[in-house]
Amino acid sequence: MSRDASVEPLKAEVLEDQPLLDIPEPFDSKADYKADMPIAVDFGSFNVRAGFVNQAKPSHVFRNELTRYRDRKLAQTFTFIGNDTLLDQTVMSQAKSPFDGSLVTNWDYVEEIMEYTFNHLGVVPDDGIKNPLIINEKLACIQSQRNNWYQVLFETFNIPKVAFGIDTLFSYYAHNEMSSDGLVIGCGNHDTNVVPIVNGKAYLTETKRINWGGSQAVDFLTDVMTLKYPYFPTKLTNYQYRKMYQDYCYVSPNYGEEVSKYLTLDNLVNKNVVVEAPFTEIIQPQKTEEELRIQAEKRKENGKRLQEQAKQKRLEKLVQKTEEFEYFSKIKEQLVDQPKKTVLSILQNAGFDDERDFKKYMYNLEKSLKKAQIIETDKDDEENDDVEAKFDLLEIEDSKLDEEQLKEKRKQKFLKASFDARQKAKEEKARVAKEEEEARKKEEEWRKTNLSDWVKDKRGKLAVLVKKRKDKVKLKTDMKDRKSQASQKRMKNLANLAEDTPQSGSKRSRHQATIDNDPNDTFGANDDDWAVYNDVAQNPEILDELIEEDYRQIVELESQLLEFDPNFTEEDTLDAQYDWRNSILHLFLRGPAPHDSENVHEQHQMHLNVERIRVPEILFQPSIGGLDQAGVSELCETILLRKFNSKPSVLSQSALNMANNTWITGGNSRIPGMRERIVKEFTQFLPSNTPITINQSSNASLDAWLGMRKLGNNNTIFDASAITKKEYEEYGADYIKEHKLGNINYFD
Amino acid sequence: MNNNNTRTNDERSEFLSGIAAMNVLEQPMRRAQIDILKEGGPAALAAALQRPKKKNNRRHKGARQILSDETKRINAILEQEQQKHEEDPAYVRRVPQVTTFNVSAPPSVRPVKHYCDITGLSGPYTSPTNNIRYHNSEIFQFIVKPMTPGVDQEYLKLRGANFVLK
Repeated sequence: MSRDASVEPLKAEVLEDQPLLDIPEPFDSKADYKADMPIAVDFGSFNVRAGFVNQAKPSHVFRNELTRYRDRKLAQTFTFIGNDTLLDQTVMSQAKSPFDGSLVTNWDYVEEIMEYTFNHLGVVPDDGIKNPLIINEKLACIQSQRNNWYQVLFETFNIPKVAFGIDTLFSYYAHNEMSSDGLVIGCGNHDTNVVPIVNGKAYLTETKRINWGGSQAVDFLTDVMTLKYPYFPTKLTNYQYRKMYQDYCYVSPNYGEEVSKYLTLDNLVNKNVVVEAPFTEIIQPQKTEEELRIQAEKRKENGKRLQEQAKQKRLEKLVQKTEEFEYFSKIKEQLVDQPKKTVLSILQNAGFDDERDFKKYMYNLEKSLKKAQIIETDKDDEENDDVEAKFDLLEIEDSKLDEEQLKEKRKQKFLKASFDARQKAKEEKARVAKEEEEARKKEEEWRKTNLSDWVKDKRGKLAVLVKKRKDKVKLKTDMKDRKSQASQKRMKNLANLAEDTPQSGSKRSRHQATIDNDPNDTFGANDDDWAVYNDVAQNPEILDELIEEDYRQIVELESQLLEFDPNFTEEDTLDAQYDWRNSILHLFLRGPAPHDSENVHEQHQMHLNVERIRVPEILFQPSIGGLDQAGVSELCETILLRKFNSKPSVLSQSALNMANNTWITGGNSRIPGMRERIVKEFTQFLPSNTPITINQSSNASLDAWLGMRKLGNNNTIFDASAITKKEYEEYGADYIKEHKLGNINYFD
Repeated sequence: MNNNNTRTNDERSEFLSGIAAMNVLEQPMRRAQIDILKEGGPAALAAALQRPKKKNNRRHKGARQILSDETKRINAILEQEQQKHEEDPAYVRRVPQVTTFNVSAPPSVRPVKHYCDITGLSGPYTSPTNNIRYHNSEIFQFIVKPMTPGVDQEYLKLRGANFVLK
């Protein structure tokens, strides 16, 4: 297609799998260790962030994963944690998280990971860990989860004092004072929380959680892409899909509007992203010219030999057939003027049933002989056109010839016949060529003298052809459907024809009627009757050929029109009407460029387009992801307009403060466009001129740890928030120490 | 740069055991190990570390199990409160304040928008045979109509509309 030549091939980003690391997780120096310095651990379901609170940022950030690796040779089991799992391919692929969804399910892993964390922080144990600890837990943490944490921290590690808090609140606290009003949207890995805060205290009773986070988004993207490309040659890893989500997805400022024009050429030129799975390309070894030449020669020689063999065989067969024909011709001559009985006996001696059988045989023999001669003629056309074979023996009577000469004569006879046939075929060819030439000339003249008529005629023919083809295509699809009218009719016809007693004809004669003499059978009296065989014979394969034939004719007509009709352009051709530019599906699957299914690179490419906004949109419309929950902005709207003594028309002071101090935190909030979208939603549902401030820190995933650090550095608040080992032993595992950053008791 | 994949098996083994050795503690941190050290000395601890760990089944519960246990726990408390109230009408029952269940966001009250299950564009039509929503006739003709029964469920699963056999 000429128009496609101008389309530049799309640039593809190669999507590498997780790179292996070279250096294991470093150890902090034990020299600086202070036993009373609180340790802050953000034990997230994705990453662990850990450090002493006197550090500016966590000194260790690593994936919350663990691999137990058994070395068979050494017969030893090693445990690798966090970044150390990324040192080796096998170890990496076997890494498991202590989490199942948002809940911790493997507490042995938790113990191992905590120990590893302390060890890397340079903690010197002294009958357990002497440092106070700040750790996060889920909003409305399940009691058994907290019990297990108590056990691990107080009993296993013997930690004197632990402050538990909600990560979303820690994130808020990192940037705000303990007495401020605000609203936090915490976008976590497994859930998203919306928390109102009044006077520094989180109103957990008004807090809502959407069960959707980064990991669900990545899973959703994985499902969407595997359904989009069901025959994708390689399987991408979770890491690669996460990369896709992080690098290319964004929150649309106005989803409804953007999605409606997403799959248009203009938009896709900017928004379509092509990612390519890495693969090893198999390069066919290039043969040298010399090798190719030898190969070609060999092939040619082989072909020639085979041709000669075949020719020899054909000739032998022909001679045999000619002999046969002559023999039977003699018999035929004998039959002339004989009584019927003698004829029959002669024929039966020769191996025939009766005269009819004999005639049929002769007819067939003659036919095949003629056919063979014509083939032979075509084959020999070039070779021995000029060779005037000798036909000298033909004139001489058989009786005057000896055995050898007789054979030669037969051969000459055959050659003569084939020569004649050849001449005839040549004449025929010349005649056809002449007729064609004449027709062409006539047409050209017509075109030159009266272009508009010519165009009209051609266009009319084209329209008819296109319609015919369309009908056939429709018939073909109908044929595939067993229930369609076309195939039902066909089955009916087949059944009717196969039946011994056709249903047609109301009155049947008593006497036995065969297919030949049934007086009631008027089939064939009307010429249209025969069309039934046409209908029956219509199967998809034959239709395919017919459609192909139509298409050839259409293309030929179109090329003529393209040349001479000034009003007929590429746009009007049949091909243009099936153009990928007009196909939503093509744009969706292959982007704004033609697709070459032979290209190995294109086979390994995925196009991200609507998915880029569809996946993050689930936070705002959870129904897209199959969640029967309200979206982020709806939850904010409820809190700001209907709670804390607010009315949709008049906002309370707390609600005004919240709208003016809203924070978006958490790793999943790093998706581009998040803040802009929240601003837009807020302006939409809040009364006009309500001051809005939406904040987002530059490194949202660190916010929680920074909040922990702030708490650890404020001794009075820390002491008031932390639960000591003594308190744990005194009050038991059900004890919750309520404070501004933590969970509260389950019951009021 | 990275030679992790070019190592021979022996080199790899050595490398990995080296990493593991770096992470061996100088002094134990966990109560159980500290106790072993106090009683039997370093040799006993080293032996204990090599022993395969006992499976502690109490701790390995799936997320589903944990959630249903929490429901049971809360229901038990509610029942208890009810009983106390029946015995003494003056008793004020405690009500759930914040549990993992009541912080879950309620269903949306906004009208649910329909999107094409295949492309994600607007989805004004629904296939009568398998309930797939689709954007236009082209998508119906090439994707929805020839869809095999398993695949339609996969698509419906995306928006939680698939059939779940229980």
